[in-house]
Amino acid sequence: MSGASKTVSTTLWSLVLFATLAVFAATLYTIFVVAPVEKQMGIVQKIFYFHVPSAYAMYLGFGASALGSAVYLLKRDARWDALGVAGAEVGTLFCLIVLLTGPLWARKAWGVWWTWDPRLTTTLLAGMIFAAYLALRSMGNAGEVEKRFAAGLALFGLIDLPLIHYSVQRWRGVHPTVITGKGGGLESEMYWALGLSFIAFTGLAVLLIWARASAERQREEAARLRFELMHR
Amino acid sequence: MHALIAALVLACTLLISPAARAQDTGAEPEAASGQAEETPAEERATQFVGVTGPEAESIPGGGLLLAAYAVVWILIFLYLLRMRGLQRQTAEELERLSAELRASGGG
Repeated sequence: MSGASKTVSTTLWSLVLFATLAVFAATLYTIFVVAPVEKQMGIVQKIFYFHVPSAYAMYLGFGASALGSAVYLLKRDARWDALGVAGAEVGTLFCLIVLLTGPLWARKAWGVWWTWDPRLTTTLLAGMIFAAYLALRSMGNAGEVEKRFAAGLALFGLIDLPLIHYSVQRWRGVHPTVITGKGGGLESEMYWALGLSFIAFTGLAVLLIWARASAERQREEAARLRFELMHR
Repeated sequence: MHALIAALVLACTLLISPAARAQDTGAEPEAASGQAEETPAEERATQFVGVTGPEAESIPGGGLLLAAYAVVWILIFLYLLRMRGLQRQTAEELERLSAELRASGGG
């Protein structure tokens, strides 16, 4: 990367970082001060404002991983492979957040920590597919075969994403459908809190994918130099 | 003859059908009550109804909320720490490898 483009990239990264931090502060204020406490569930409903955007950030991460993997399989360009790794890692992080915050809400709302509801099950499945991707990539320096196999796994994981989204509409389950077509919706202050949280989590996911992809490209460069030294 | 058979069938029908109806009505309340017991457990909830009284806060919502937000921040913080470590390690390795390449006359 040239000096000028590196400066532009750093400036842009800093701008997104500060904007994300500002939106996170506004989001927390809106969640805890502006948005009312939900009538039926009480204060535990406020988990929703981080739980749902985390699920959306998980889609972004896994989507980025599948995109990077698909282009890598077509072009064999290491930059796209780096995007695949970064997306899988960030998506798995948000998937973990979803799978941990969901049960904390469910304990109060359903009386159980976990139930084999279609949406919960398909989310767990997506997490396991991309965890397998990361396990495959973490076995030392991945060669071409491992990279291609992992890219195929990411594309397989992509199939599960629409299943997660439409599972509440297609199959009988207990997961709430508040903000989907069938749902009863939210109060306006609740929409504000959720909307701001969506923006904050988008910024966070983009920053994390960006930084992780950059670190992965550096790792690739280090691997190339090691190879060059070994064959000297 | 045909008229006699028809009269017998009609008589039998008239005699049997009230008995059968009586049996049906006797069984009905039982089945209906059985169905009424199953419905709430089997049907998917369409709304959340709050509990009023002393049971309302049997599970502490505040603690669960605090735990959920703590989980989010802790996981993000740990991931940032891991990424920082990875970037530092890679940068050091790149520097070392570049120096080795220069030393071996290829840099």
